[in-house]
Amino acid sequence: MTNYLIRRIIQMIFVIFLAALFTYYLFTVSPGGPLAGIQQQQRRITREDMARLRAQYEMDFYWPYRFSRWLIGLPNGPITIGGKEIFSNVAVGCYLARDEQTVEQNGQLVKIPKGCDQYVYLADIPELHPAIKSSKGILRGDFGLSTVVRPGRPVFGEMMTRLPATLELMLLSTFLSFLFGIPIGIYSAIKQYSRFDYTFTTVSFIGSAMPTFFFGLMLILVFSVLPNLLQDSLPWLPKLPPGSRVAVRPYEVASWLPRVTPGTGLDRFLHILMPLGVLTFFSMATWSRFVRSSMLEVMRQDYVRTARAKGLVEKTVVIKHALRNALIPFVTIAVLTIPGFFSGAIITETVFAWPGMGRLYFDALNRSDWPIALAFIFVTALLTVVATLLGDILYTVVDPRIKYT
Amino acid sequence: MKNLKLLSLVAILAIASMVLAACPAPAAEPAAPQVVTQIVEVVKEVEKTVEVVVESTVEVVKEVTTEDYSTPHPVLSDLKVRQALAYCLDRSALIASVYPYVEDGAVLEMDSFLPKTHWAYKGPYADMPMYDPEKGNALLDEAGWTLAEGATVRQNADGEVLAVKFTTTTAQFRQTWSAVAQQNLAACGIQMLTNYTPASWWFGDTTGLTRRDFELGAFAWVGQADPSGRTLYACDQVPVPSNNWEGQNYMGWCNEAASAAIVKANNTLIRDERIAAYDTVQKEFAKDVVSIPVFQRAEAEAWSANLEGVRSDATEYATANLQEWKLLDGGDTIVIGMTQEPDSMWSLVSSMAAQRLVVIPAKGHIASQYSYDFQPVLQDGLSTIESGLATNDTVEVKAGDTVYSVNGEPVALEAGVKVFDVDGNEVEFTGSEAIKMPQLKVTYKMQDYTWSDGTAGSVADMELGFNIDCDKESGAVEFITCDAIADKAFATDAKEVTVTYVPGYQAPTYYLYPFSLYPSHQVLADGRNLAEVPASEWATLPEIAETPLSFGPYVITEWVKGQSITMAKNEFYAGDVATPNVIFVFVADTNQAVAQLLNGDVDYLDDSTLGAGAEVQTVIDAAKSTGNVKYEISASSTWEHIDINLFTK
Amino acid sequence: MTTVAQPVLARDPREAEKSESQIRVVLRRFMRHRLAVLSVILIAIIFTASLLAPVIAPFPRDAIDLSSNIRPAPPGTTDSEGRVHYLGIDHLGRDLFTRVLYAARVSMSIAILVVLISETFGALLGAVAGYYGGMVDTVISRIIEFMLTIPSLPILLIISAILLRRDVVLPLPGFLNNFLSSLLLAPPREAQKVVVLVLVLVIFGWLGAARLMRGMALSLSKQDFVEALRASGASDARIIFRHIIPNGIAPILVNASLGIGGVIVTESALSFLGLGVQDPTPTWGNMLSTSQSYMFQNPWLPLVPGVFLVIVSIGFNFIGDGMRDALDPRLKR
Repeated sequence: MTNYLIRRIIQMIFVIFLAALFTYYLFTVSPGGPLAGIQQQQRRITREDMARLRAQYEMDFYWPYRFSRWLIGLPNGPITIGGKEIFSNVAVGCYLARDEQTVEQNGQLVKIPKGCDQYVYLADIPELHPAIKSSKGILRGDFGLSTVVRPGRPVFGEMMTRLPATLELMLLSTFLSFLFGIPIGIYSAIKQYSRFDYTFTTVSFIGSAMPTFFFGLMLILVFSVLPNLLQDSLPWLPKLPPGSRVAVRPYEVASWLPRVTPGTGLDRFLHILMPLGVLTFFSMATWSRFVRSSMLEVMRQDYVRTARAKGLVEKTVVIKHALRNALIPFVTIAVLTIPGFFSGAIITETVFAWPGMGRLYFDALNRSDWPIALAFIFVTALLTVVATLLGDILYTVVDPRIKYT
Repeated sequence: MKNLKLLSLVAILAIASMVLAACPAPAAEPAAPQVVTQIVEVVKEVEKTVEVVVESTVEVVKEVTTEDYSTPHPVLSDLKVRQALAYCLDRSALIASVYPYVEDGAVLEMDSFLPKTHWAYKGPYADMPMYDPEKGNALLDEAGWTLAEGATVRQNADGEVLAVKFTTTTAQFRQTWSAVAQQNLAACGIQMLTNYTPASWWFGDTTGLTRRDFELGAFAWVGQADPSGRTLYACDQVPVPSNNWEGQNYMGWCNEAASAAIVKANNTLIRDERIAAYDTVQKEFAKDVVSIPVFQRAEAEAWSANLEGVRSDATEYATANLQEWKLLDGGDTIVIGMTQEPDSMWSLVSSMAAQRLVVIPAKGHIASQYSYDFQPVLQDGLSTIESGLATNDTVEVKAGDTVYSVNGEPVALEAGVKVFDVDGNEVEFTGSEAIKMPQLKVTYKMQDYTWSDGTAGSVADMELGFNIDCDKESGAVEFITCDAIADKAFATDAKEVTVTYVPGYQAPTYYLYPFSLYPSHQVLADGRNLAEVPASEWATLPEIAETPLSFGPYVITEWVKGQSITMAKNEFYAGDVATPNVIFVFVADTNQAVAQLLNGDVDYLDDSTLGAGAEVQTVIDAAKSTGNVKYEISASSTWEHIDINLFTK
Repeated sequence: MTTVAQPVLARDPREAEKSESQIRVVLRRFMRHRLAVLSVILIAIIFTASLLAPVIAPFPRDAIDLSSNIRPAPPGTTDSEGRVHYLGIDHLGRDLFTRVLYAARVSMSIAILVVLISETFGALLGAVAGYYGGMVDTVISRIIEFMLTIPSLPILLIISAILLRRDVVLPLPGFLNNFLSSLLLAPPREAQKVVVLVLVLVIFGWLGAARLMRGMALSLSKQDFVEALRASGASDARIIFRHIIPNGIAPILVNASLGIGGVIVTESALSFLGLGVQDPTPTWGNMLSTSQSYMFQNPWLPLVPGVFLVIVSIGFNFIGDGMRDALDPRLKR
């Protein structure tokens, strides 16, 4: 087991490194960047202005070097070994890049190829890129500074402000979807092809077939917009706040109820109701299907048949024999929801103005704030790998027959 | 362990291949027969004592006769075709497709690059073709593009079809009107191939528009109180490889008369002269049809019927008079919904509308710009020549003096440098003969103000503004004004500064105080004095980026990221503040914002949040049916246009 | 690692099912799943309608009806020339019924192409991994594990941003271009973009099939009949294509059917985030996300594509469910 764990952890480190490298590379080739859109304003920007701005975002560095600075924060200057500076003359970037040009020279048209008019050398780093804006590297716990969404402010702090909202929403919805999904799955399996089974199969398929944003907007329409538009004819209709996490001033839910004070438990409950409903509905569907099929699988096994043949009461058979075994794969899969507690739900959070992590990520992606997007992917990948390992370990715990070597 | 070895091998290979792929391409191939290869080495000094070595392989290529974008476009360089394109566009249909709720679409139509309400617009400019498909068809026939019997697309004598590529962003709004434009052009036998690209490509700094990678390109300019326009229409502003793609004249339009006029318009301070110069540019612009102005965008804002005091304006942000807003039911908190969240409270590094909406009331305003013009707020009167606060004296310049060149750069005067003389004529310095040039000297004065921590404002605040805003490390985009300052003198006993600009610098908005005011007395949480912090760190300071001190009506008390910004009345603000608390909430999605307005959760949605899409109809209908909301639809300063690239690669 | 318990068979188990009666048994079992049968019928109708789109559709795909100035207009609107718009007019004045038909063609093509390519690719890779084992298996399994580690939606967003945001032109041969363009009833340029999206969705789409097939191949390759085949000199390719893949095909089919619904929904989510197929090429997903602005005002506008999308997606789920039950050899009913 120890050997197995060591091997797995080394593998994990490789996978994480590759994932980081891969995503970093994707960002360097993707269009946009923090300076995109600078041309949309009428103003004169010289090549030198552009070079200075690019340098502020370290865009003057070649990407492998930038990656290394992002990951481990090194090298942040000439490498000194034994009092001697080495590699100080290695070009790690290009401060003034030049496109292919055609110029007249001595009466001939001359084509100057793409190149660089001023390279950045390792020796220049401490001067060109002051420490205040450099990252110590994500591996050393420094997520760097945001570039667009919150220019100059630490990414870590920005994420921490969003994490509570995402945790609240994701933990609750996962809990509720287990609470409803598991019993429904079990019952559907026991009563396979019954009306109950058909109904919940259909419901869960609707859950997986309906786009989230469509469902979310429908809810807002029905519970929030329509009651307001119908105020004249049906003034007693209660209405839900359409979004956000908390209100900022007292509001009315229905004319016949007292006003709700912002920040109270009731206020939070009313605000989370719709996003929670959407997420629970969708994941409940998945879980009930999963439990149903693993229950069916188990109920066909010999030992269950044997238990039945022994004349045990169906209830005992289901609970003592089938259920226990059916939940084994479930537990290991359920662990995989962990990364979601961090990464949130992009679409639901956007539709309901929930100030969570998913919205932050999408905002960062849309506005080319690479440091935020990278940190998000890095942490999510890390959590995914850890959760997978945890799932495999749990497998041995819940099912002693399985041994890893 | 075998697996592990293999895995690491794969990893190393993958990394190696990526690194290799990223390395700069190797130097030019060994010489082909007719290619002469030579190495040019130039060494020169630049700032930061970094030695620059231009080391490049230069190929003398005989076949190369022209550079990129110097070959006239086979179709679009023909004026008749361009006119036909404009004649075939039914602007009212285009407007109706995106703004079905606008009753009189004609107010949004444009025939120039300035909106009809602008002080520099002296139209109508009848040369700009307006919808008349018959004329369009006739022109196309004349130009040799004929429609064969039964065909739907025109062809020329060589059998080439009349197809033009139309590039724009994926914005739903542009896709909508361009679909109608496509139909319009198809009716004239022109095939318009739409290419919807993401804004990040279209406006990228090395892609799309900036590299003139289009035939017809649609986007918008934001009209300003000062029409400027030099970078857009002057001959020397055409981006090509040889000038490293500098300039914003993406059409490649070089009309001598128009170019001279636009340069002149930006180099004189007398409004009548400016109007005359702009009139010339607009006339040439209409004749040459190099860019088809389509329409001014409509913009809609909406607020709760409970709110009063909202003042809509095309060029000023709605919250500029926030201190006058009032809730009719006597409530003490106004809630404003926004789809975007501000990035930083430091205006120098932010260009977001959402940021301006918050900062204007929460930090204070030096001058406002209602109705395409300027009004002083904290500034003690605009420092115009008429007011006596500014002079534009004639000086004689000689070799070695720093002057403002025709290209808009401060340079040392030497033989060959071109400048505008005092009469507005372009003259080239001979090396000996002195030139008479105008020199601006302006005194900027501030009224008394008190920061929200109770400290009175001082001239040191202005000095700090000059120092930080002109610091190259601050993160500001350009330093045109900074570079043009020859001398500055701060008063010792009053909040005023006298700035002497280099001869030849004639900024049309010289009368506006050009920089920011910063609380020079502020002591940061870490004990340092704000004035001592280097500019490169400013963006990272919470005292600057998140909860700055204010001299305006409000001050930020709390910023919950992703949720809201809370502002309270600035106790030390001299004027009246009708409502003590204002909260901005961030709602991410326009549907959500409208739902919150209808639900009474927010009181006001500005035009950048409500936009001008289908959601506006929801607001209009709700206003009619329940009467709980009010709205205002107006012509925005942003205008859509189709640039025509006159050249091809 | 875990292994799935598998009955040991000396013969290729498929041979037992080859007889006419076995197919009939599967069919009979499938027919018992009433909702699955209903789904087959519904999808067949929509599929046929989409095949006949150019014939049935009352208007050209992108035609703007200038004779009606109510945009969008509700189902059943008659324009001033007396033409009826059965499902209404969209915000641009285009006939919704027409567009929904064309969208059916594009959406279903995307879904089927994605699933076809990724299941084929996944199954092949999985079969190879499982059959050969050792190094080959290790490499392929690690790639799969790696792909499962990286968060798929965020990465999909980046990749589609890169590919769809640039005007990428795929080097496809002319006949393929023509085929795609006639399949999607869209000009070749639009078809190209659809193909780019298909490829993007395939990037993460093949993992499930590969894992399933690998598991099957792993156990099959150890069985006696495969040993026997090897001894008789059958080539590896022959064994993989003629025996391993056909034997493991059942779960792949189920997976594919469930996958089609998933792809349709994913495409609409990408459209909502602004990264899907672009107008004027209609898909249910982009029709739905375009009309979200009209949600509160004209709720029927998103409902039209929404209903089709949900029906087809649920339908494929039911079919998959029915197939799972029907193909399960252990299920006796």
